[in-house]
Amino acid sequence: MRGLGEIAERLRRSTVEVRLKGNRGGGSGVVWSNAGLVLTNAHVARAGQAEVELWDGRLLAARVVSRDARRDLALLRIAAADLEPAATGDSSALRPGELVMAIGSPLGFAGALSRGVVHSIGPIEGMGPQPWIRAGVRLAPGNSGGPLANAGGQVIGINTAIVNGLGVAIPSNAAADFVERGPRPALGVTLEPVPLGLLLVQIEAAGAAAAASLKAGDILLMSLAELHAALDSGEEVVKLRFLRGLEPDSRRLPVRETHVRLGRRRAEAA
Amino acid sequence: MANELAALSQELAAAVERVGKSVVAVHARPRFSSSGVFWRPNIVVTAEHTIRREEEITVTLPDGSNMAAALAGSDAGTDLAVLRVEHQGSAAGNPAVQPAPGHLALAIGRSKDSGVNATWGIVSAVSGPWRTWRGGRLDAYIRLDLTLYPGSSGGLVVNTDGAPLGIATSALSRIAGLAIPATTIDRVVDEILARGRVSRGYLGVGLQPVELPDHQKGLIVLSVEPGGPAANAGVLIGDILMSLGGRAAADTEDVQMALEAHGVGQSVEAAVLRGGTAQTIAIKIGERPRRS
Repeated sequence: MRGLGEIAERLRRSTVEVRLKGNRGGGSGVVWSNAGLVLTNAHVARAGQAEVELWDGRLLAARVVSRDARRDLALLRIAAADLEPAATGDSSALRPGELVMAIGSPLGFAGALSRGVVHSIGPIEGMGPQPWIRAGVRLAPGNSGGPLANAGGQVIGINTAIVNGLGVAIPSNAAADFVERGPRPALGVTLEPVPLGLLLVQIEAAGAAAAASLKAGDILLMSLAELHAALDSGEEVVKLRFLRGLEPDSRRLPVRETHVRLGRRRAEAA
Repeated sequence: MANELAALSQELAAAVERVGKSVVAVHARPRFSSSGVFWRPNIVVTAEHTIRREEEITVTLPDGSNMAAALAGSDAGTDLAVLRVEHQGSAAGNPAVQPAPGHLALAIGRSKDSGVNATWGIVSAVSGPWRTWRGGRLDAYIRLDLTLYPGSSGGLVVNTDGAPLGIATSALSRIAGLAIPATTIDRVVDEILARGRVSRGYLGVGLQPVELPDHQKGLIVLSVEPGGPAANAGVLIGDILMSLGGRAAADTEDVQMALEAHGVGQSVEAAVLRGGTAQTIAIKIGERPRRS
């Protein structure tokens, strides 16, 4: 029999600590391939460069290869030999009640293990239409980006958040999709739901929204769910209606339209 | 891959899947739903503290459909509420043999968005009958060492075989979640279905334990509710209650036990000391007024 300790030790060797230069604290990551790909949360890898510490203490510079803010995932590349990539499981086969364990650096304690069971799997209000794994494992800041594994030690999720005391993880199948096909289309904006629709608070300079001449202060006339559906529709170009320059006393709503080019994702791996 | 841990994991998941067929989500408060259990055909039992409205209660069934539920009654003392649903449901199985500290336990709930959910831990303490701070009596005190998340209360607590230990509540103990035992649920459901409520005996007196010069213990009457059962029987302030229904009255808990042994409306013999003289007074037990 492979005991919990043995499984955890194996998993610990595939778990890294991710830090930003000059920042105290950070998150965790999962060694995804022996070619040097490390998966973590987008909110952990906020800059283009990061520093990764392996289980054996090696410190390596890491470059952020791609990010998917909507899924809170980022892919890093490091140059190191003898990496031990994690075994991954099929998150779609996961059931509530299954034993799971999380490894990471909660509050800076590298390699700390917590265990529990899968609480439930499904969407979370305010966190998009996609399913999340909720697990009764004790997480803390620093677990972010680290692995959630099943009883066989296979990674089935990437720990991302704590909601109502429950650990929330991105299913490993979504993470694998991100690694293989790159980020899902995004507008490149920070937005805030308002009564009329979605207020654009900030526009990333190189994002799709900026290229489509959307500006901060514009209000998209759609719900968050509709925006997610449009972005995930597979269309290369989506048409968005928005309000610009809305005055309190204006008689007509200043509705405009724009076409946003989202670009094409890589084809689904066969 | 074939290891005992993975086998246990599969066993737990299988129990959740099986037991989850009896567990519904209950929508009767703002923000968080709670869970409920098909205890009998058409009857869902949940935790009373999660019921914040008496109308427009709905449940989400295991197949994901929503359905109206009618509140048949509730008992704050044991934190149980009974709902009637126009759906047969798959009733929870026969209760587990006596749980013991250290047994593994799963609390299984449901929410509309995520379907069935589970949390896992152990039974941390078991003892005999226990009075809750809300005044009800549980046939056993079953303390759980597992995390009850918002929405877990009212869910079914089972062992790893999926046999019920009771219904989960976070409201009866400050330090831990409890399983309300199956026998208590049966008793409360019977009473609520028969009468719409759980009636508790009532004397209408305020009592304080005292020790007499001969070291006997009794309860001195400090107040008498005007028109209450004790007042009607002629009990006076200053009387010292020595026994009730043959049970020595050294503590107010003894009075509660005596009242539970006799039904509302029955007459019970109270032995009192009045001015140093022993007397017997027959009191017709009333029903405790419900807090509104």
